[in-house]
Amino acid sequence: MKNQNLTKTLNPGVQFLINYAVPIIFTILVAIAIPLSGLSGEYLARELMTRLARNSFIILALLIPVMAGMGMNFSIVLGAMAGEIGLIFVTDWQIVGMPGILLAMLISTPLAILLGYFGGMVLNRAKGREMVTGFMLAFFMNGIYQLVVLYGMGNIIPISNSNILLPREYGIRNAIDLIGIRQVLDKLISLKVSGLVIPVATLLVITMLCVFIIWFKKTKLGQEIRSVGQDNDVARISGINVGKTRILSIIISTVLACYGQIIFLQNIGTMNTYNSHEQVGVFAIAALLVGGASVSKATIPNVFVGVILFHTMFIVSPRAGKVLIGQAQLGEYFRVFVSYGVIAFSLALYAWRKRVEKENERRKAMTLKRVLLQSNNTTGGYKL
Amino acid sequence: MRKRIIIRITLMVVLILIGISLYTIGKEHKVFIDNKDIAVGEIVYSAEATYDVRVDNQEIGLLEKGDRNVVKVAGASHKIVIEEIKDKVLTGEKYEKRFKLKTNESATVNIPAMINNKNEWINKTN
Repeated sequence: MKNQNLTKTLNPGVQFLINYAVPIIFTILVAIAIPLSGLSGEYLARELMTRLARNSFIILALLIPVMAGMGMNFSIVLGAMAGEIGLIFVTDWQIVGMPGILLAMLISTPLAILLGYFGGMVLNRAKGREMVTGFMLAFFMNGIYQLVVLYGMGNIIPISNSNILLPREYGIRNAIDLIGIRQVLDKLISLKVSGLVIPVATLLVITMLCVFIIWFKKTKLGQEIRSVGQDNDVARISGINVGKTRILSIIISTVLACYGQIIFLQNIGTMNTYNSHEQVGVFAIAALLVGGASVSKATIPNVFVGVILFHTMFIVSPRAGKVLIGQAQLGEYFRVFVSYGVIAFSLALYAWRKRVEKENERRKAMTLKRVLLQSNNTTGGYKL
Repeated sequence: MRKRIIIRITLMVVLILIGISLYTIGKEHKVFIDNKDIAVGEIVYSAEATYDVRVDNQEIGLLEKGDRNVVKVAGASHKIVIEEIKDKVLTGEKYEKRFKLKTNESATVNIPAMINNKNEWINKTN
Protein backbone atom coordinates (compact mmCIF):
# COMPACT_ATOMS: atom_id res chain seq x y z
CA MET A 1 0.00 0.00 0.00
CA LYS A 2 2.77 2.36 1.01
CA ASN A 3 4.76 1.49 -2.07
CA GLN A 4 1.72 2.05 -4.29
CA ASN A 5 1.54 5.64 -3.08
CA LEU A 6 5.14 6.13 -4.00
CA THR A 7 4.57 4.52 -7.41
CA LYS A 8 1.91 7.08 -8.26
CA THR A 9 4.42 9.91 -8.00
CA LEU A 10 7.46 8.22 -9.55
CA ASN A 11 7.89 6.28 -12.77
CA PRO A 12 8.54 2.51 -12.43
CA GLY A 13 12.23 2.77 -13.34
CA VAL A 14 12.96 5.33 -10.64
CA GLN A 15 10.76 3.37 -8.24
CA PHE A 16 12.82 0.22 -8.90
CA LEU A 17 16.09 2.11 -8.43
CA ILE A 18 14.90 3.54 -5.12
CA ASN A 19 13.57 0.22 -3.83
CA TYR A 20 16.68 -1.72 -4.76
CA ALA A 21 19.30 1.00 -4.39
CA VAL A 22 21.41 -0.96 -1.88
CA PRO A 23 21.59 -4.27 -3.83
CA ILE A 24 22.24 -2.37 -7.07
CA ILE A 25 25.13 -0.39 -5.52
CA PHE A 26 26.54 -3.59 -4.05
CA THR A 27 26.28 -5.49 -7.31
CA ILE A 28 28.23 -2.70 -9.03
CA LEU A 29 30.85 -2.66 -6.25
CA VAL A 30 31.21 -6.44 -6.38
CA ALA A 31 31.48 -6.37 -10.19
CA ILE A 32 34.34 -3.86 -9.90
CA ALA A 33 36.08 -5.53 -6.94
CA ILE A 34 36.13 -9.14 -8.23
CA PRO A 35 38.44 -8.52 -11.21
CA LEU A 36 40.57 -6.16 -9.11
CA SER A 37 41.08 -8.82 -6.44
CA GLY A 38 42.34 -11.34 -8.97
CA LEU A 39 40.78 -14.22 -7.03
CA SER A 40 39.89 -17.32 -8.99
CA GLY A 41 36.27 -18.31 -9.52
CA GLU A 42 36.87 -21.62 -7.77
CA TYR A 43 38.26 -19.94 -4.64
CA LEU A 44 35.41 -17.44 -4.64
CA ALA A 45 32.79 -20.20 -4.97
CA ARG A 46 34.41 -22.21 -2.16
CA GLU A 47 34.51 -19.24 0.20
CA LEU A 48 31.00 -18.20 -0.69
CA MET A 49 29.63 -21.69 -0.04
CA THR A 50 31.27 -21.71 3.40
CA ARG A 51 29.85 -18.31 4.27
CA LEU A 52 26.41 -19.16 2.90
CA ALA A 53 26.22 -22.18 5.19
CA ARG A 54 27.76 -20.30 8.10
CA ASN A 55 25.68 -17.11 8.08
CA SER A 56 22.27 -17.78 6.50
CA PHE A 57 20.62 -19.26 9.59
CA ILE A 58 21.26 -16.26 11.83
CA ILE A 59 20.07 -13.83 9.13
CA LEU A 60 16.86 -15.83 8.71
CA ALA A 61 16.26 -15.22 12.43
CA LEU A 62 15.68 -11.55 11.60
CA LEU A 63 12.63 -12.13 9.41
CA ILE A 64 9.92 -12.68 12.03
CA PRO A 65 10.41 -9.40 13.95
CA VAL A 66 10.25 -7.54 10.60
CA MET A 67 6.93 -9.31 9.99
CA ALA A 68 5.76 -8.05 13.38
CA GLY A 69 6.63 -4.47 12.40
CA MET A 70 9.49 -4.28 14.88
CA GLY A 71 12.16 -3.55 12.28
CA MET A 72 15.59 -5.12 12.34
CA ASN A 73 16.08 -7.01 15.56
CA PHE A 74 19.44 -5.82 16.87
CA SER A 75 18.76 -7.82 20.02
CA ILE A 76 19.57 -11.11 18.24
CA VAL A 77 22.88 -10.57 20.02
CA LEU A 78 21.08 -11.85 23.13
CA GLY A 79 20.37 -15.13 21.37
CA ALA A 80 23.99 -15.33 20.24
CA MET A 81 25.10 -14.93 23.86
CA ALA A 82 22.78 -17.74 24.94
CA GLY A 83 24.27 -19.98 22.25
CA GLU A 84 27.78 -19.18 23.42
CA ILE A 85 26.92 -20.04 27.01
CA GLY A 86 25.63 -23.41 25.77
CA LEU A 87 28.92 -23.93 23.93
CA ILE A 88 30.95 -23.03 27.03
CA PHE A 89 29.15 -25.72 29.05
CA VAL A 90 29.51 -28.32 26.32
CA THR A 91 33.24 -27.58 26.07
CA ASP A 92 33.58 -27.75 29.84
CA TRP A 93 31.83 -31.12 29.99
CA GLN A 94 33.81 -32.35 26.97
CA ILE A 95 30.79 -33.37 24.93
CA VAL A 96 31.87 -33.79 21.33
CA GLY A 97 30.35 -34.39 17.89
CA MET A 98 26.71 -33.91 16.99
CA PRO A 99 25.58 -34.68 20.56
CA GLY A 100 27.72 -31.70 21.63
CA ILE A 101 25.99 -29.34 19.19
CA LEU A 102 22.53 -30.65 20.08
CA LEU A 103 23.24 -30.44 23.81
CA ALA A 104 24.52 -26.86 23.42
CA MET A 105 21.26 -26.02 21.64
CA LEU A 106 19.22 -27.75 24.34
CA ILE A 107 21.01 -25.94 27.18
CA SER A 108 20.84 -22.54 25.53
CA THR A 109 17.18 -22.75 24.45
CA PRO A 110 15.63 -21.89 27.86
CA LEU A 111 18.18 -19.12 28.27
CA ALA A 112 17.35 -17.75 24.81
CA ILE A 113 13.61 -17.91 25.59
CA LEU A 114 14.20 -16.01 28.83
CA LEU A 115 16.37 -13.39 27.14
CA GLY A 116 13.88 -13.12 24.26
CA TYR A 117 11.04 -12.57 26.73
CA PHE A 118 13.03 -9.88 28.51
CA GLY A 119 13.99 -8.28 25.18
CA GLY A 120 10.37 -8.37 23.99
CA MET A 121 9.18 -6.72 27.21
CA VAL A 122 11.72 -3.93 26.84
CA LEU A 123 10.93 -3.41 23.14
CA ASN A 124 7.21 -3.25 23.93
CA ARG A 125 7.93 -0.27 26.14
CA ALA A 126 9.77 1.43 23.31
CA LYS A 127 7.25 1.10 20.46
CA GLY A 128 8.40 2.89 17.33
CA ARG A 129 12.02 2.92 18.50
CA GLU A 130 12.63 -0.82 18.61
CA MET A 131 15.84 -0.80 16.59
CA VAL A 132 17.80 1.69 18.65
CA THR A 133 16.40 0.12 21.84
CA GLY A 134 17.45 -3.34 20.64
CA PHE A 135 20.91 -1.99 19.86
CA MET A 136 21.31 -0.54 23.34
CA LEU A 137 19.78 -3.64 24.92
CA ALA A 138 22.49 -5.71 23.26
CA PHE A 139 25.16 -3.47 24.83
CA PHE A 140 23.50 -3.75 28.23
CA MET A 141 23.21 -7.52 28.07
CA ASN A 142 26.80 -7.75 26.87
CA GLY A 143 27.83 -6.21 30.18
CA ILE A 144 25.83 -8.79 32.12
CA TYR A 145 27.20 -11.59 29.94
CA GLN A 146 30.76 -10.46 30.63
CA LEU A 147 30.05 -10.28 34.36
CA VAL A 148 28.66 -13.82 34.37
CA VAL A 149 31.37 -15.31 32.17
CA LEU A 150 34.32 -13.38 33.60
CA TYR A 151 33.44 -13.59 37.29
CA GLY A 152 30.53 -15.99 37.72
CA MET A 153 31.91 -18.97 35.83
CA GLY A 154 34.29 -20.90 38.01
CA ASN A 155 33.16 -18.93 41.06
CA ILE A 156 29.40 -19.44 41.29
CA ILE A 157 28.82 -21.62 38.23
CA PRO A 158 31.05 -24.71 38.48
CA ILE A 159 33.53 -25.07 35.62
CA SER A 160 35.97 -27.95 35.93
CA ASN A 161 37.88 -27.87 32.64
CA SER A 162 41.13 -26.02 33.31
CA ASN A 163 41.67 -25.61 29.56
CA ILE A 164 38.91 -23.03 29.36
CA LEU A 165 39.42 -21.37 32.73
CA LEU A 166 41.72 -18.40 33.27
CA PRO A 167 44.87 -19.15 35.30
CA ARG A 168 43.27 -17.45 38.35
CA GLU A 169 40.76 -20.38 38.31
CA TYR A 170 37.63 -18.37 37.64
CA GLY A 171 36.45 -16.67 34.49
CA ILE A 172 36.61 -18.08 30.98
CA ARG A 173 39.59 -17.60 28.69
CA ASN A 174 39.45 -15.13 25.81
CA ALA A 175 39.37 -17.85 23.18
CA ILE A 176 37.89 -21.32 23.45
CA ASP A 177 38.93 -24.08 21.10
CA LEU A 178 35.80 -25.84 19.88
CA ILE A 179 37.83 -28.71 18.47
CA GLY A 180 35.29 -31.32 19.63
CA ILE A 181 32.48 -29.86 17.55
CA ARG A 182 34.46 -28.14 14.80
CA GLN A 183 32.56 -28.42 11.49
CA VAL A 184 30.69 -31.45 12.78
CA LEU A 185 27.43 -30.36 11.20
CA ASP A 186 29.14 -29.24 7.99
CA LYS A 187 30.88 -32.59 7.60
CA LEU A 188 27.89 -34.71 8.70
CA ILE A 189 26.79 -34.95 5.07
CA SER A 190 29.05 -33.28 2.56
CA LEU A 191 29.32 -33.49 -1.20
CA LYS A 192 32.37 -32.71 -3.27
CA VAL A 193 31.57 -31.32 -6.69
CA SER A 194 34.66 -30.48 -8.78
CA GLY A 195 36.67 -29.24 -5.80
CA LEU A 196 33.74 -27.47 -4.17
CA VAL A 197 32.70 -28.99 -0.84
CA ILE A 198 28.97 -28.58 -0.25
CA PRO A 199 27.92 -28.89 3.42
CA VAL A 200 24.65 -30.64 2.64
CA ALA A 201 23.56 -31.13 6.27
CA THR A 202 23.96 -27.43 7.13
CA LEU A 203 22.15 -26.41 3.96
CA LEU A 204 19.37 -28.87 4.83
CA VAL A 205 19.00 -27.26 8.26
CA ILE A 206 18.80 -23.82 6.60
CA THR A 207 16.21 -25.14 4.11
CA MET A 208 14.19 -26.55 6.99
CA LEU A 209 14.20 -23.13 8.65
CA CYS A 210 13.03 -21.53 5.38
CA VAL A 211 10.19 -24.08 5.18
CA PHE A 212 9.38 -23.38 8.83
CA ILE A 213 9.16 -19.63 8.17
CA ILE A 214 6.90 -20.15 5.14
CA TRP A 215 4.68 -22.51 7.16
CA PHE A 216 4.75 -20.23 10.20
CA LYS A 217 3.41 -17.29 8.16
CA LYS A 218 0.29 -19.35 7.44
CA THR A 219 -0.38 -20.36 11.05
CA LYS A 220 -2.72 -18.44 13.35
CA LEU A 221 0.21 -16.94 15.23
CA GLY A 222 1.93 -16.06 11.95
CA GLN A 223 -1.19 -14.27 10.71
CA GLU A 224 -1.47 -12.44 14.01
CA ILE A 225 2.15 -11.33 13.79
CA ARG A 226 1.54 -10.03 10.26
CA SER A 227 -1.59 -8.16 11.36
CA VAL A 228 0.35 -6.58 14.23
CA GLY A 229 3.07 -5.63 11.75
CA GLN A 230 0.58 -3.92 9.44
CA ASP A 231 -1.31 -1.92 12.04
CA ASN A 232 -1.15 -2.23 15.81
CA ASP A 233 -4.49 -0.54 16.44
CA VAL A 234 -6.41 -2.57 13.87
CA ALA A 235 -4.86 -5.75 15.28
CA ARG A 236 -5.86 -4.76 18.82
CA ILE A 237 -9.45 -4.03 17.73
CA SER A 238 -9.53 -7.46 16.03
CA GLY A 239 -8.88 -9.03 19.43
CA ILE A 240 -5.16 -9.77 19.04
CA ASN A 241 -3.01 -9.33 22.12
CA VAL A 242 -0.47 -7.05 20.44
CA GLY A 243 2.05 -6.97 23.29
CA LYS A 244 2.12 -10.75 23.66
CA THR A 245 2.42 -11.29 19.90
CA ARG A 246 5.36 -8.91 19.68
CA ILE A 247 7.09 -10.64 22.61
CA LEU A 248 6.55 -14.03 20.93
CA SER A 249 8.10 -12.81 17.70
CA ILE A 250 11.19 -11.62 19.59
CA ILE A 251 11.41 -14.92 21.51
CA ILE A 252 11.31 -16.91 18.25
CA SER A 253 13.94 -14.62 16.72
CA THR A 254 16.20 -14.91 19.78
CA VAL A 255 15.98 -18.70 19.89
CA LEU A 256 16.74 -18.93 16.16
CA ALA A 257 19.67 -16.54 16.60
CA CYS A 258 20.96 -18.76 19.39
CA TYR A 259 20.95 -21.80 17.07
CA GLY A 260 22.40 -19.64 14.29
CA GLN A 261 25.33 -18.64 16.48
CA ILE A 262 26.01 -22.28 17.37
CA ILE A 263 26.00 -23.20 13.66
CA PHE A 264 28.27 -20.23 12.95
CA LEU A 265 30.78 -21.11 15.66
CA GLN A 266 30.89 -24.84 14.87
CA ASN A 267 31.98 -23.81 11.39
CA ILE A 268 34.67 -21.42 12.67
CA GLY A 269 35.90 -23.88 15.32
CA THR A 270 37.03 -21.20 17.78
CA MET A 271 35.00 -18.98 20.02
CA ASN A 272 36.09 -15.51 21.09
CA THR A 273 34.32 -15.63 24.42
CA TYR A 274 33.92 -11.88 24.87
CA ASN A 275 33.36 -10.60 21.36
CA SER A 276 32.10 -13.35 19.04
CA HIS A 277 28.56 -12.08 19.53
CA GLU A 278 29.25 -8.34 19.41
CA GLN A 279 29.06 -7.81 15.66
CA VAL A 280 26.49 -10.54 14.98
CA GLY A 281 23.54 -8.15 14.84
CA VAL A 282 25.25 -5.54 12.69
CA PHE A 283 26.63 -8.00 10.14
CA ALA A 284 23.38 -9.99 9.88
CA ILE A 285 21.29 -6.86 9.47
CA ALA A 286 23.71 -5.35 6.97
CA ALA A 287 23.60 -8.56 4.90
CA LEU A 288 19.80 -8.59 4.93
CA LEU A 289 19.63 -4.94 3.88
CA VAL A 290 22.16 -5.54 1.11
CA GLY A 291 19.82 -8.27 -0.11
CA GLY A 292 17.14 -5.68 -0.79
CA ALA A 293 15.18 -5.89 2.45
CA SER A 294 13.89 -2.83 4.22
CA VAL A 295 12.99 -2.11 7.82
CA SER A 296 9.36 -2.93 7.04
CA LYS A 297 9.74 -5.79 4.55
CA ALA A 298 12.15 -8.70 4.43
CA THR A 299 11.83 -12.00 2.60
CA ILE A 300 13.74 -15.27 2.34
CA PRO A 301 15.27 -14.37 -1.10
CA ASN A 302 16.58 -11.12 0.48
CA VAL A 303 18.54 -13.29 2.93
CA PHE A 304 20.33 -15.32 0.26
CA VAL A 305 20.92 -12.41 -2.15
CA GLY A 306 22.27 -10.47 0.83
CA VAL A 307 24.61 -13.23 1.99
CA ILE A 308 25.98 -13.67 -1.52
CA LEU A 309 26.54 -9.95 -2.22
CA PHE A 310 27.70 -8.94 1.25
CA HIS A 311 30.08 -11.84 1.71
CA THR A 312 31.45 -11.66 -1.82
CA MET A 313 32.38 -8.10 -0.90
CA PHE A 314 33.95 -9.40 2.33
CA ILE A 315 36.01 -11.96 0.45
CA VAL A 316 37.28 -9.70 -2.30
CA SER A 317 37.70 -6.42 -0.43
CA PRO A 318 41.06 -7.18 1.31
CA ARG A 319 42.66 -8.21 -1.99
CA ALA A 320 41.02 -5.37 -3.90
CA GLY A 321 42.21 -2.98 -1.18
CA LYS A 322 45.73 -4.31 -1.54
CA VAL A 323 45.68 -3.80 -5.30
CA LEU A 324 44.23 -0.30 -5.06
CA ILE A 325 46.07 1.12 -2.05
CA GLY A 326 48.77 -1.48 -1.44
CA GLN A 327 47.39 -2.43 1.98
CA ALA A 328 45.22 -5.48 2.71
CA GLN A 329 44.35 -3.89 6.07
CA LEU A 330 42.16 -1.44 4.19
CA GLY A 331 39.82 -4.28 3.26
CA GLU A 332 39.34 -5.10 6.93
CA TYR A 333 38.35 -1.51 7.71
CA PHE A 334 36.19 -1.56 4.63
CA ARG A 335 34.13 -4.44 6.05
CA VAL A 336 33.11 -2.50 9.15
CA PHE A 337 32.68 0.72 7.20
CA VAL A 338 30.44 -1.00 4.66
CA SER A 339 28.35 -2.78 7.32
CA TYR A 340 27.54 0.38 9.25
CA GLY A 341 27.28 2.40 6.05
CA VAL A 342 24.71 0.05 4.53
CA ILE A 343 22.59 0.15 7.67
CA ALA A 344 22.75 3.95 7.85
CA PHE A 345 21.97 4.28 4.13
CA SER A 346 19.02 1.87 4.34
CA LEU A 347 17.59 3.60 7.39
CA ALA A 348 17.96 7.00 5.75
CA LEU A 349 16.30 5.67 2.59
CA TYR A 350 13.47 4.22 4.69
CA ALA A 351 12.97 7.53 6.53
CA TRP A 352 12.97 9.40 3.22
CA ARG A 353 10.38 7.03 1.76
CA LYS A 354 8.18 7.47 4.83
CA ARG A 355 8.44 11.24 4.46
CA VAL A 356 7.51 11.05 0.76
CA GLU A 357 4.56 8.83 1.58
CA LYS A 358 3.35 11.20 4.29
CA GLU A 359 3.69 14.11 1.88
CA ASN A 360 1.67 12.17 -0.74
CA GLU A 361 -1.01 11.42 1.81
CA ARG A 362 -1.16 15.08 2.80
CA ARG A 363 -1.40 16.22 -0.84
CA LYS A 364 -4.14 13.70 -1.52
CA ALA A 365 -6.11 14.87 1.50
CA MET A 366 -5.70 18.52 0.48
CA THR A 367 -6.87 17.79 -3.08
CA LEU A 368 -9.90 15.94 -1.78
CA LYS A 369 -10.71 18.77 0.59
CA ARG A 370 -10.40 21.32 -2.25
CA VAL A 371 -12.70 19.28 -4.52
CA LEU A 372 -15.27 18.94 -1.79
CA LEU A 373 -15.16 22.65 -1.01
CA GLN A 374 -15.55 23.53 -4.71
CA SER A 375 -18.54 21.23 -5.12
CA ASN A 376 -19.99 22.72 -1.95
CA ASN A 377 -19.68 26.23 -3.38
CA THR A 378 -21.21 25.37 -6.81
CA THR A 379 -24.13 23.20 -5.62
CA GLY A 380 -24.71 24.89 -2.29
CA GLY A 381 -23.99 21.65 -0.49
CA TYR A 382 -22.71 18.14 -1.14
CA LYS A 383 -23.96 14.69 -0.54
CA LEU A 384 -21.82 11.71 0.31
CA MET B 1 -5.54 -26.32 32.57
CA ARG B 2 -4.49 -29.56 34.30
CA LYS B 3 -3.94 -31.22 30.95
CA ARG B 4 -1.71 -28.34 29.87
CA ILE B 5 0.41 -28.64 33.05
CA ILE B 6 0.80 -32.40 32.51
CA ILE B 7 1.88 -31.84 28.89
CA ARG B 8 4.41 -29.20 29.95
CA ILE B 9 5.87 -31.37 32.71
CA THR B 10 6.09 -34.34 30.32
CA LEU B 11 7.83 -32.17 27.73
CA MET B 12 10.34 -30.96 30.32
CA VAL B 13 11.03 -34.51 31.49
CA VAL B 14 11.52 -35.64 27.88
CA LEU B 15 13.92 -32.75 27.22
CA ILE B 16 15.91 -33.55 30.37
CA LEU B 17 16.10 -37.21 29.31
CA ILE B 18 17.27 -36.19 25.84
CA GLY B 19 19.89 -33.96 27.50
CA ILE B 20 21.15 -36.82 29.67
CA SER B 21 21.34 -39.19 26.71
CA LEU B 22 23.19 -36.59 24.61
CA TYR B 23 25.61 -36.11 27.51
CA THR B 24 26.25 -39.86 27.70
CA ILE B 25 26.55 -40.36 23.94
CA GLY B 26 28.80 -37.35 23.40
CA LYS B 27 31.00 -37.50 26.50
CA GLU B 28 34.65 -37.69 25.55
CA HIS B 29 36.99 -40.15 27.28
CA LYS B 30 40.73 -40.60 27.15
CA VAL B 31 41.97 -44.10 26.44
CA PHE B 32 45.68 -44.75 26.94
CA ILE B 33 47.13 -47.75 25.15
CA ASP B 34 50.28 -49.31 26.54
CA ASN B 35 52.47 -51.79 24.74
CA LYS B 36 54.58 -52.31 27.87
CA ASP B 37 55.45 -55.18 30.19
CA ILE B 38 52.89 -55.81 32.91
CA ALA B 39 53.10 -57.86 36.09
CA VAL B 40 49.96 -59.75 37.03
CA GLY B 41 50.57 -61.35 40.41
CA GLU B 42 53.97 -62.88 40.06
CA ILE B 43 53.83 -63.40 36.32
CA VAL B 44 55.22 -60.75 34.01
CA TYR B 45 53.69 -60.46 30.54
CA SER B 46 56.18 -58.88 28.20
CA ALA B 47 55.59 -56.70 25.21
CA GLU B 48 57.05 -58.69 22.31
CA ALA B 49 55.71 -57.28 19.08
CA THR B 50 54.52 -54.17 17.32
CA TYR B 51 50.79 -53.72 16.98
CA ASP B 52 48.51 -51.78 14.71
CA VAL B 53 45.80 -50.33 16.97
CA ARG B 54 42.29 -49.13 16.20
CA VAL B 55 39.74 -47.85 18.71
CA ASP B 56 36.15 -47.44 17.48
CA ASN B 57 37.48 -47.58 13.91
CA GLN B 58 39.87 -44.68 14.64
CA GLU B 59 43.34 -45.55 13.44
CA ILE B 60 45.80 -44.98 16.27
CA GLY B 61 48.83 -46.18 14.35
CA LEU B 62 51.66 -48.54 15.13
CA LEU B 63 52.63 -49.17 18.74
CA GLU B 64 56.11 -50.61 19.16
CA LYS B 65 57.46 -52.37 22.24
CA GLY B 66 57.48 -49.99 25.21
CA ASP B 67 55.28 -47.39 23.46
CA ARG B 68 52.23 -45.61 24.82
CA ASN B 69 49.60 -43.69 22.90
CA VAL B 70 46.39 -41.91 23.76
CA VAL B 71 43.11 -41.62 21.92
CA LYS B 72 40.00 -39.62 22.66
CA VAL B 73 36.71 -41.44 22.16
CA ALA B 74 33.10 -40.40 22.64
CA GLY B 75 30.28 -42.37 24.22
CA ALA B 76 29.97 -45.24 26.65
CA SER B 77 30.71 -48.40 24.62
CA HIS B 78 33.96 -48.92 22.76
CA LYS B 79 35.86 -51.51 20.79
CA ILE B 80 39.62 -51.91 20.54
CA VAL B 81 41.17 -53.96 17.76
CA ILE B 82 44.89 -54.76 17.61
CA GLU B 83 46.78 -56.57 14.89
CA GLU B 84 50.25 -57.97 15.31
CA ILE B 85 53.00 -56.74 12.98
CA LYS B 86 56.34 -58.46 12.43
CA ASP B 87 58.94 -57.23 9.98
CA LYS B 88 56.49 -54.51 8.89
CA VAL B 89 53.96 -57.16 7.78
CA LEU B 90 50.64 -58.08 9.40
CA THR B 91 50.95 -61.60 10.83
CA GLY B 92 47.18 -62.16 10.85
CA GLU B 93 47.03 -62.32 14.65
CA LYS B 94 44.10 -60.12 15.55
CA TYR B 95 42.68 -59.38 19.01
CA GLU B 96 39.45 -57.56 19.77
CA LYS B 97 37.92 -56.41 23.05
CA ARG B 98 34.88 -54.36 23.99
CA PHE B 99 34.63 -52.15 27.02
CA LYS B 100 32.32 -49.61 28.62
CA LEU B 101 33.20 -46.37 30.36
CA LYS B 102 31.14 -44.35 32.81
CA THR B 103 30.77 -40.60 32.24
CA ASN B 104 33.89 -39.46 34.10
CA GLU B 105 36.09 -42.45 33.49
CA SER B 106 39.23 -42.77 31.44
CA ALA B 107 41.00 -46.05 30.74
CA THR B 108 44.42 -47.55 30.23
CA VAL B 109 44.61 -50.62 28.03
CA ASN B 110 47.64 -52.90 28.32
CA ILE B 111 48.27 -54.87 25.13
CA PRO B 112 50.30 -57.79 26.60
CA ALA B 113 47.58 -58.38 29.23
CA MET B 114 44.89 -58.05 26.56
CA ILE B 115 46.36 -60.67 24.23
CA ASN B 116 46.80 -63.03 27.20
CA ASN B 117 43.17 -62.55 28.20
CA LYS B 118 43.97 -61.25 31.68
CA ASN B 119 41.42 -59.25 33.67
CA GLU B 120 44.05 -56.59 34.24
CA TRP B 121 44.05 -55.70 30.52
CA ILE B 122 42.03 -52.54 31.29
CA ASN B 123 42.42 -50.13 34.15
CA LYS B 124 39.62 -47.59 34.54
CA THR B 125 40.20 -44.38 36.48
CA ASN B 126 38.10 -41.31 37.27
